[in-house]
Amino acid sequence: MPSPPSTVAALRSLLAARFPERNRRSTGVVATGVLAIDRALGGGLPAGRLTELVSAAPSTGGQTVMAQLLRTTRTARQRIALIDAANGFVPDEVPSDALRHLVWVRAHNSPEAFAAADILARDGNYAVIVFDLRGLSERTLMKTPSGLWHRLRHAVESRPSAFLVQSTTPLVPAVTWRLVLNRPVPLSSRRTAKTDLANAMSVEVARGQIEFEEQSA
Amino acid sequence: MTHSVLLIPDFALQSLRRREPRTVGKAVAISHGDGRKARILQFSPEARGIEVGLAVTLAMARCPGLKILPRDLDAENESTRILVAVALTLSPRVEISGDGYCTIDLQGADAKHTETRMHACIGELAAAGFSARAGAGESTLLAYYAAQRTERVLVIRDNADFLAQLPLGFATPTRSQTEVLTGWGITTLGGLTNLPKAEIAQRLGTAGVQLWERAAGESNRVLRLVEPVKTFEAKWEYDPPVESMEPLLFRLRRFAECVALELRAAGMVADKLSLVLRLEDETEHRREFRLPEPTGQVDGWMRVLQAHLDTVRTEARVLGVCLTANPARPPEKQDSLFDTGLRDPAAFWENLARLGAVVGDNCVGTPGVADTWRPDSITLEKPAETIPQPADDPIHPRRGLTLRRFRPQWCARVRLEEDRPIFVESDEFTGSIRDAHGPFHFSGMWWQPEEAWHAEVWQVETDNGAIYQIARTRDDWSVEGVLD
Repeated sequence: MPSPPSTVAALRSLLAARFPERNRRSTGVVATGVLAIDRALGGGLPAGRLTELVSAAPSTGGQTVMAQLLRTTRTARQRIALIDAANGFVPDEVPSDALRHLVWVRAHNSPEAFAAADILARDGNYAVIVFDLRGLSERTLMKTPSGLWHRLRHAVESRPSAFLVQSTTPLVPAVTWRLVLNRPVPLSSRRTAKTDLANAMSVEVARGQIEFEEQSA
Repeated sequence: MTHSVLLIPDFALQSLRRREPRTVGKAVAISHGDGRKARILQFSPEARGIEVGLAVTLAMARCPGLKILPRDLDAENESTRILVAVALTLSPRVEISGDGYCTIDLQGADAKHTETRMHACIGELAAAGFSARAGAGESTLLAYYAAQRTERVLVIRDNADFLAQLPLGFATPTRSQTEVLTGWGITTLGGLTNLPKAEIAQRLGTAGVQLWERAAGESNRVLRLVEPVKTFEAKWEYDPPVESMEPLLFRLRRFAECVALELRAAGMVADKLSLVLRLEDETEHRREFRLPEPTGQVDGWMRVLQAHLDTVRTEARVLGVCLTANPARPPEKQDSLFDTGLRDPAAFWENLARLGAVVGDNCVGTPGVADTWRPDSITLEKPAETIPQPADDPIHPRRGLTLRRFRPQWCARVRLEEDRPIFVESDEFTGSIRDAHGPFHFSGMWWQPEEAWHAEVWQVETDNGAIYQIARTRDDWSVEGVLD
């Protein structure tokens, strides 16, 4: 039986050799345009990784993050897909020019949404894929087999797309990043520009840490 | 070279094996005729000890385990369609000269290009499941000899050299002619054509002259050209009817290949597919698939068809299927230098089609805003292949939180005080309203009473901090969505 690795560095190299997919570093980030999120994630949504954004309460800004993401990716001319499990997206809420790079999939139920996510996760033509599960019942979502999430994670890991799951409760097992929006925005902020609202948002990092270049032991 | 021949040897057997893959690798023979007169027409290499023309009973005695099958004319017709479609890629002047045998008039074609194309034709036929041969020469007969002589592609450069190697049997002499010529020491076509034609006429008569001409490959017959296909369609019936999708998909692929080859021969691709399943209860399941990008690739078609068929549940067994491809010109484009295009266009369009099969074609696309003030009026368009330069930021930026709609809306009861909402009650939530912003009145089509609409919209903040958008249409209140 081989002797166990004596240093942390040796252990890291052993794990990297055994599980190359798991240890492959993200190849880039896609900025969301929401200051707090981009700061927390070290620049933006990591490509080839699942990131979960939990809207812990209504009116905490989850949909404004989506609107801001559309604006930022449009400026960068990056393609984006939205799998809308509860069919809640409202195109009128963003300028029509900010929709020209969007592929909107209007699912009718959870199985359709997961089937669509599985297809898009393997596509490779999108910079960001947003999987919006808000609006589906928590009971239905809790019944989702964890195997589906692992399958999705494996599909994403080998592609250059960042994958953002939007939910109202933590759902994704072994997710790379989980951010929580838990501060409702008051109605009195209705005259504030969306960009300013997005910049004023605060997020809580519930899981994950920035991947730094491997340091020598 | 002026003519070419595409030949599928053992055509009946190859056609049958393509349709019945279970027979591959087994001792199989095709019979011709009925009852005691039934004879072996063609047989597979696995069938030992038998020969063409042998009585079926004798063949079965000689080769235990031999499976005797009748000719499958449907399979042969399908194979002929494929052969003609491939031949039409060489030249538009094609004749079906026999079973598994096409003659192509190559006059005017570039010889070097044609030879390369002949190799490609054999490759295409191999991809369709056929082991075929191609020959080319100065006449139809020489081209046929070349196709028979080779294992793949043969172009006759020197007629004398070529004929000198060919056995006399290629010119199909009668038994008496063979005996006479063998007596003269002539065993090849070259040997016969070295003799003066007039001398042959004196000794063997008219039949001898015809044999000499066949041996020399002389032929000046006019080809009976096939009509180019105008409808790209494949139909077939099942007997007995099928219950599962597996046999359906298997045959669908084969027929799709046939239709795709015919389209390609016409220089076209498909932009739309139509599938009709005829069911045992005399109903039909019809579906039309608009391909996101016109294509002639069968794999792309099959992904779309399979994604749909995986979701289909019919009430009765399937009796017959019809697949039709709508022809379209192949797409042509030239991207500009700074276009942000697709990494993998084929995957992009195929996946869009698969998504359409999962959620419905009208539920996938790039959203647009319809030309109306009516709330929630949406259009979905085909996504653009390239992302254009963004427009300048709007002068008046969007403000406030972003609406996420509930589709369908939640029915609600709203209590008003001084015409302002103060309490909302619905199946999903109930709460007091601590702040309300509104009303916003929207209306349209007032000049058409039947289509006129009006909505009074409020944005309300409940006690728990959630902001909802509620609306009153006539006397009904509903929660339209959450501002998030």
